[in-house]
Amino acid sequence: MPGDPEFEKLVRLYYRDLYRFGFSLTGSEIDTSDLTQETFYIWANKRHQLRNPTNVKSWLFTTLYREFLKICRYRQHVAHEPLSESAQDLPHISADMVNRIDAQTLLDFLGQIDERYRAPLVLYYLEDLSYKQIGDLLAVPLGTVQSRIARAKIRLFQLLTKTNPSLSRAK
Amino acid sequence: MKRSEAKEKLLLYRELIDDDDLRFEDALAHARRDPELAEWLREQSSCYDAIRSKLSEIEAPADLVEKVIRNRPIPSAATAGRLNALQRWDWTQILKLAAAIIISAAITAVSLKLWQRQTHRVIQGREIIVKGEVLDMACYIAYNWSGLEHAACASDCIRNGLPVGIKAKNGRIYLLTGYDAHVNAELADYAAKIVTIRGKVTARDGFAQIQVEEIRKF
Repeated sequence: MPGDPEFEKLVRLYYRDLYRFGFSLTGSEIDTSDLTQETFYIWANKRHQLRNPTNVKSWLFTTLYREFLKICRYRQHVAHEPLSESAQDLPHISADMVNRIDAQTLLDFLGQIDERYRAPLVLYYLEDLSYKQIGDLLAVPLGTVQSRIARAKIRLFQLLTKTNPSLSRAK
Repeated sequence: MKRSEAKEKLLLYRELIDDDDLRFEDALAHARRDPELAEWLREQSSCYDAIRSKLSEIEAPADLVEKVIRNRPIPSAATAGRLNALQRWDWTQILKLAAAIIISAAITAVSLKLWQRQTHRVIQGREIIVKGEVLDMACYIAYNWSGLEHAACASDCIRNGLPVGIKAKNGRIYLLTGYDAHVNAELADYAAKIVTIRGKVTARDGFAQIQVEEIRKF
């Protein structure tokens, strides 16, 4: 089978970012590898439909997210409680406390947050995207993106506090 | 603005990334005047950086990139054809396709002639005026591609010397030829457009061609 330099270049350029995003959503190496592969294969078959090639990274993220949602629907994950926290509920978390946990623990906490809230939160942390760009990528209105990130962040902080209450202190 | 309101807003603020976002402007101004709020904001920023850095530690498996490249799908015939046509630099494939079409047409015509063993009526040299869409014959016959969506590809194909045709309103297709090599260059500008062609028609065994004498854009 002849090589496809454009495909290879794209894979080498974006697989790390894509994998990181996917792993933060699934917490599973196997699922994320499958998602990453599937995303690139969809691109390989649909690349001619991309109107603006400069948006390829956003397109890849959106596609991976859609594939992730398909998996979630297929597996019929147990529905998480809707998040309704406000900023008043934000526990105090220090950077030192975050540094003391490992990445896996952080991913476990992310896994406890409903996927609709998890995806924007992960993009908020991992990618230098504006809120509008995150909204476009996930096909969610700007206001919804902001409220979902805020609620997910508060929930994450609450989970971090539960791990080691002694490391957190009152606001 | 109260401190609690400022905190609500600044909960989402990311240094550098959100600096141009006007929604944070008031709250940031408040933080500059309120040392306690400023301290809270500093802690939030440190915490943001710590979580970001923690997530950035995620490493893809070493063999993933090779696995993705090795197992990449072979595009389906339709997709492959479309990709080849869209990848303008892959002219060898398109020329091979055109050659195959011409050879197939020739074989069909000869076979028909031998089978029927009779002389067919030949129309030659009659002047004709045909109005219709300029077609890139290679893509039209192989994939039924025509119309404005295909205009750019058709224009390139015609300009590079692939067979050019016209589809008349009654659905009849004529191959367009010229007295010299410039006819493709002239017709490339009209790819997928409706034009009126005047020329001399020649037909044999069901195939018709027009030797172009005049092109008029409709």
